Amino acid sequence: MKIGVFVLGFSFLLFHPAGSNAQQKKITVAVAANMQYAFAELKNEFEKNNDVKVNVVVGASGNLTRQIVQGAPFDVFISADTKYPGNIYEQGFAAEKPKVYARGALVLWTTKEGIQLNSDLHFLLSPKIRSIAIANPKIAPYGTAAVALLEKNSLVEDLKNKLVYGESISQTSQFIASGNADIGFTAKAVVLSTQMKNKGKWIELNAQDYPPILQAAVLLKHGLQKHTVAAQKFYEFLFSEKAKDIYKKYGYIN
Amino acid sequence: MIETAPIFLTLELAFLTTIILFFLAIPVANWLSHKKSILKTIAEVVVSLPLVLPPTVIGFYLLLAFSPANSFGKFLEHYFDIRLAFSFGGLLIGSVIYSLPFMVHPILSGLNSLPSSLEEASYSLGKTKMQTLFKVLLPNIKPSLLTGIVLTFAHTIGEFGVVLMIGGNIPGKTNVASIAVYDEVEALNYHNANVYAAVLVAISVTILFLLYFSNRKLQEVKIL
Amino acid sequence: MTHLSLQKKLHSADGQLLLDVNCDIEEGSFISLYGPSGAGKTSLLRMLAGFMQPDEGLIKVNNEVWFDSENKINIVPQKRMIGFVFQDYALFPNMNVEENILFGLSKAHPKKIVEELLELTELSGLREKKIQVLSGGQQQRVALARALARKPKLLLLDEPLSAIDNELRSNLQRTLLSIHSHYKVTSIIVSHDINEIMKLTSKTIHLRNGKIEQLAAPVEIFTNEFQDEGMLKALFLSLEKSGNQSHALILVGDQVLKIACSTEDANDLQKGDEIVVSFKGAPAFLRKL
Repeated sequence: MKIGVFVLGFSFLLFHPAGSNAQQKKITVAVAANMQYAFAELKNEFEKNNDVKVNVVVGASGNLTRQIVQGAPFDVFISADTKYPGNIYEQGFAAEKPKVYARGALVLWTTKEGIQLNSDLHFLLSPKIRSIAIANPKIAPYGTAAVALLEKNSLVEDLKNKLVYGESISQTSQFIASGNADIGFTAKAVVLSTQMKNKGKWIELNAQDYPPILQAAVLLKHGLQKHTVAAQKFYEFLFSEKAKDIYKKYGYIN
Repeated sequence: MIETAPIFLTLELAFLTTIILFFLAIPVANWLSHKKSILKTIAEVVVSLPLVLPPTVIGFYLLLAFSPANSFGKFLEHYFDIRLAFSFGGLLIGSVIYSLPFMVHPILSGLNSLPSSLEEASYSLGKTKMQTLFKVLLPNIKPSLLTGIVLTFAHTIGEFGVVLMIGGNIPGKTNVASIAVYDEVEALNYHNANVYAAVLVAISVTILFLLYFSNRKLQEVKIL
Repeated sequence: MTHLSLQKKLHSADGQLLLDVNCDIEEGSFISLYGPSGAGKTSLLRMLAGFMQPDEGLIKVNNEVWFDSENKINIVPQKRMIGFVFQDYALFPNMNVEENILFGLSKAHPKKIVEELLELTELSGLREKKIQVLSGGQQQRVALARALARKPKLLLLDEPLSAIDNELRSNLQRTLLSIHSHYKVTSIIVSHDINEIMKLTSKTIHLRNGKIEQLAAPVEIFTNEFQDEGMLKALFLSLEKSGNQSHALILVGDQVLKIACSTEDANDLQKGDEIVVSFKGAPAFLRKL
């Protein structure tokens, strides 16, 4: 009797999922951490107009890249830079060359009382500011941009001792949000996000003053092979007008 | 090419953490090895917590504690002008908490393995608790002390999660070797990552060798 | 004079036991604590040492109050001038013989006593040896010397010779005796060995179920119930028949005796039977070994 129930239940398990799979398409999209806010809206918009379920995996671009070249079953990769998608393409895991979908905007952000923001960055030399958070330029394009910006203003040498490096934009933002860093350079997308919207004050920096933070996406071979139609549709959606509106809304430049 | 600063920083952190913990853990282990009470059970749990807590959790809570936006951080900044986040001092504190059980447990274990008559004999001969600890108990648990020292040292060398959360990766101050390996991998510089990793492995293996070698020498002095 | 009157609730495998003793011990005497396991002998010793605290009572040693529950006085072991010899010797493994003995002495103390003790315990040649290489008997002697180095007011011995084989034991008993007569320290020994008690001690406290059943000279306590002259309890082993007169092998204590007896008496006896032997008649011969 008991064995009969077990076999019955087990066979349901075996047959059930295959059935529902055939009904609705599912794709898995790997998203760089700082894009997760914008991505939520992208996903909703896409799912509204397409009978496709979008699963998302959020992580640091580097981690996601590593997983992809190890065979992780992702269909599309939305990165926060061009290096990692480029690497994936070189290693043969991309269906085609990566494309830039948006540009990141750098902002200066503080959650501390008593700090007056000024577009003239020399105010950072004030002794009141003891720590300035930036993303690690070795691995994050926002960090590279911030350093370039400081170099343009000839402030790198003087501010070197105050610099604190976050492993990612997320960590950098966390340093600033928690008050451990007095001020810092982060993505506009972060300060516009629902979680951080009303925390502290920020100013946007002149896009001319730092190298463009190009953010690229890439359609992965796995996506092309396993979920051809759905994956391609989603990938193309990333470059549509609707998507561009969403990017703007979330603090990216086109 | 790799920098040597992370390696030296890692070694410095490991040495200082080990020394601090050695002097901290002895009274703690001594206290815990004597008569039991509910307070001591609680203390044992607290001491063992870093064993089960993910290092990133420890780091996260430390970051919250250090933040000038919270009471402890505010207190430090206001009265001592000290900021612990992104400083070597902050790393040291995180390190000491993270490796605490690795020093306490072997020493506690050693003390508990000694027959209580040894201690009583010392008391009966007029020695105080302190004198007994230093002249009778500790000299007879040398292997345990060594184990604690080596475990703590090796454990600190590999420390990553805590440093990741509160270090800020500052060159020369908080960018320890484990973080350097991580960064090189993130930057896809696998060659550099390999070099750092190889150096760390070499150091760890050497330490283990020293441990097992000197432990064999100490084995010759057995307790009755 | 050592006075002790104390009560303590003891917990053993058999349940709770109330230890309740009240007695006086003459200064300089050597007394024994005897009784079945679990009677409370070791606990009593430990309370005298200060390792255990009585629930209630008074311990006074030569007019010094060591414990007084009424006045909330409890002197720690360090401050009581005691010497304690443990059953497991409790020698310090990280020190050699001489260092163990010197341990209780402060730097200022004259070291003459150590030389004396090394001689009395016949350890002079072993002073530099690590204690791990010593035999059981030698270790016990070190323990004894160490306990005496400070000329304690009370020497407490917790079954010190129970792990030593018989031959060595007599040797060590002799050492104990000579030490006691030399230093005249008030000594209390816990022992199961009647032989030992008889040889060394002048008074025995017979403890049973936590109470003092008898406090008297050993001779009185261990007299067997057959008060008649020349009678003793023995264990029958075997019979060698030869007509009316036979020889029986009997076990008295740990000695086997061959005695002449009548076949009639011995015929029905089995090996292992407990018997009473009487030696009425001709006086026995006594000679010193």
